[in-house]
Amino acid sequence: MFHFILADLRRNRIGVALVALLVALATALGVAVTLQERALRLGSARASAPFDLVVGAAGSETQLVLSAVFLQAAPLPLAGPEVLAALRADPRVERAIPVGFGDFVGSHPIVGTTSEAIDLFGGLAEGTGFAHFGDAVAGALVRQAVGSSFHPFHGNAGEAGEVHAEAEYRIVGRLAPTGTPWDRAILVPIQSVWDVHADHDHAAGGEEDGHDHAAEAAHEHDDDHGHDHDHAGGAGRPVDETVLAGGDNPGVPAIVVKPRSIADAYTLRQEYRRDTTMAVFPGEVLTRLYGTLGDARRVLDAIAGGAQALVAAAILMVVVVHVLQRRRQIGALRAFGAPRAVVLSMVWLEVFLILAGGLLAGFALGYGAVRLLSVRLTEASGVVLPVGFTAADAWTLIGLLAVAALATLVPVLIAYRQTPAQALRA
Amino acid sequence: MLALTIEGLELTYPGLAAPVLDIPGLTVAAGAHVALTGASGSGKTSLVNVITGMERAGRGRILWNGEDIALLSENRRDGWRLAHVGLVMQEFHLFPGLSAEANVLLPHRLSRLSLEPGMRRRALDLLERVGIERPGQPVETMSRGQMQRVAVARALVGRPGVVVADEPTASLDREAGAAVSDLLLELARETGATLIAASHDERLIGRLDRVVRLENGRIAGEAAVHPGEGTKVAAAL
Repeated sequence: MFHFILADLRRNRIGVALVALLVALATALGVAVTLQERALRLGSARASAPFDLVVGAAGSETQLVLSAVFLQAAPLPLAGPEVLAALRADPRVERAIPVGFGDFVGSHPIVGTTSEAIDLFGGLAEGTGFAHFGDAVAGALVRQAVGSSFHPFHGNAGEAGEVHAEAEYRIVGRLAPTGTPWDRAILVPIQSVWDVHADHDHAAGGEEDGHDHAAEAAHEHDDDHGHDHDHAGGAGRPVDETVLAGGDNPGVPAIVVKPRSIADAYTLRQEYRRDTTMAVFPGEVLTRLYGTLGDARRVLDAIAGGAQALVAAAILMVVVVHVLQRRRQIGALRAFGAPRAVVLSMVWLEVFLILAGGLLAGFALGYGAVRLLSVRLTEASGVVLPVGFTAADAWTLIGLLAVAALATLVPVLIAYRQTPAQALRA
Repeated sequence: MLALTIEGLELTYPGLAAPVLDIPGLTVAAGAHVALTGASGSGKTSLVNVITGMERAGRGRILWNGEDIALLSENRRDGWRLAHVGLVMQEFHLFPGLSAEANVLLPHRLSRLSLEPGMRRRALDLLERVGIERPGQPVETMSRGQMQRVAVARALVGRPGVVVADEPTASLDREAGAAVSDLLLELARETGATLIAASHDERLIGRLDRVVRLENGRIAGEAAVHPGEGTKVAAAL
């Protein structure tokens, strides 16, 4: 019986392969939509996990989260120094970590922050944290080795920007992998960023106006381009933490706050939702984004569903044609005395094997495609996208197999009702 | 060896006024070699289908050694056919992709979990007997004459009580047809099986014992064939 099925499949291998491919591609489309959406959701949720509460100047909540969590380059308004000072002095706050963006080295964002951020992300994999101006801590995915130096570049790589040639950082340590976009970042003391950008109106990146370093006389370091000068903010000078508590700084685009309790988190959020500042739970903002993502997913689902319906119709046609073409074969086998239950289960099994093979291949194909895409996305964004099947997917597969089994049964049952003579006349 | 008795057979198809078969009575003795002749559309194939149980008899009794197969269920008729009938058809109905040996054994393989002991040996012997030198050869690589000889081996491998052939030589050239006719007659004689052959091939008809001619589903003539007069009888009928 299996011998016969194998011989038949081998004989029709091109047609069999095409039908299986059709099923596989349709299945892969649906699987990929589900898996990719899940990976994006889980990946971004994990990326936002270290960020309990983010405080910034009044503006777009979504942009604040995208910039703080995903390090998306965008001009953000600055929250005044008094906001940071007040948060750092607040007894309800365990940690209030300033985060400033704007510079890049290669495609890696440089994030001005404090050494507390290193603890926030789970500590160092090698080297030491930054204690001096000019020290930098690289994320896990940054190529530069510990001990190497670099000049920051204002604005994103590839865009018209300006090298802060006067500033130089030396990487002194590396963060343990976090699976977040911060793996691609280089952390430097916020004080260094303030110094480098002291003549800017703000510390957020993207704008090229006001880059007249030389005109800035208030600074202790020499800004004359092309000459020997100090490292960023005077390398080797210990970082002065007191500036964070006072009013003598330009402010920061975002402050990552770790409240002492959940109740504190809610009161803090309430308190900092004011005219000039806003406070958001990144999780909440992301949930809203998923809502939008969910809409997009429904559209994709509909497209995938449409494609699958088309393929399902094609499969039904193939199944019917397959069985009808086999009517003479069925008739002949029965004429020679083969029991009709055996003959028809053979026909059924053969079609089912093709469909099941296509379904399984489709799951593998969809998984592979999403894995590939997610690796690409991780390289680009740093967000680790966990691609994986859940128990629900197993039920989907079982459901699809059951539907395939039943659909195959219909033409077989039609054939079952015929006498061998009728089948032979076909 | 099976003897056939048909009583009051009437087969009608929906939409057709006249019955396709209307045979009040016909008997074939066990071990007899009978030819069914008649123009195409005369009911030869319908009669073959009814007596082999491939088609339900509308009315009447089809008794093989006293057992009425018209009373058997569809599944029982399939089983009965496997056990008692060796079938050879105009279109050989061999299964491409399988070897000659696998084709000969296929109906029995599909009916049981394991082959009866000795069945495989018998298949190889029969293939040798019908002149197939390589039992492992895929059937689609064979000539039509070889294919029909494989089909003859398949018909006989189950030691049937009756061999029923429906136009066994019609799709073969003269030489291959003669070889198949020889084999059918020789093997039927050797095994003692009853042979019923629907054919209009005079060279086959003339070598059987008896000719039954059908016309519009009725028996229009019947004659015994005496050795040496076969061709004459066939022509006369």
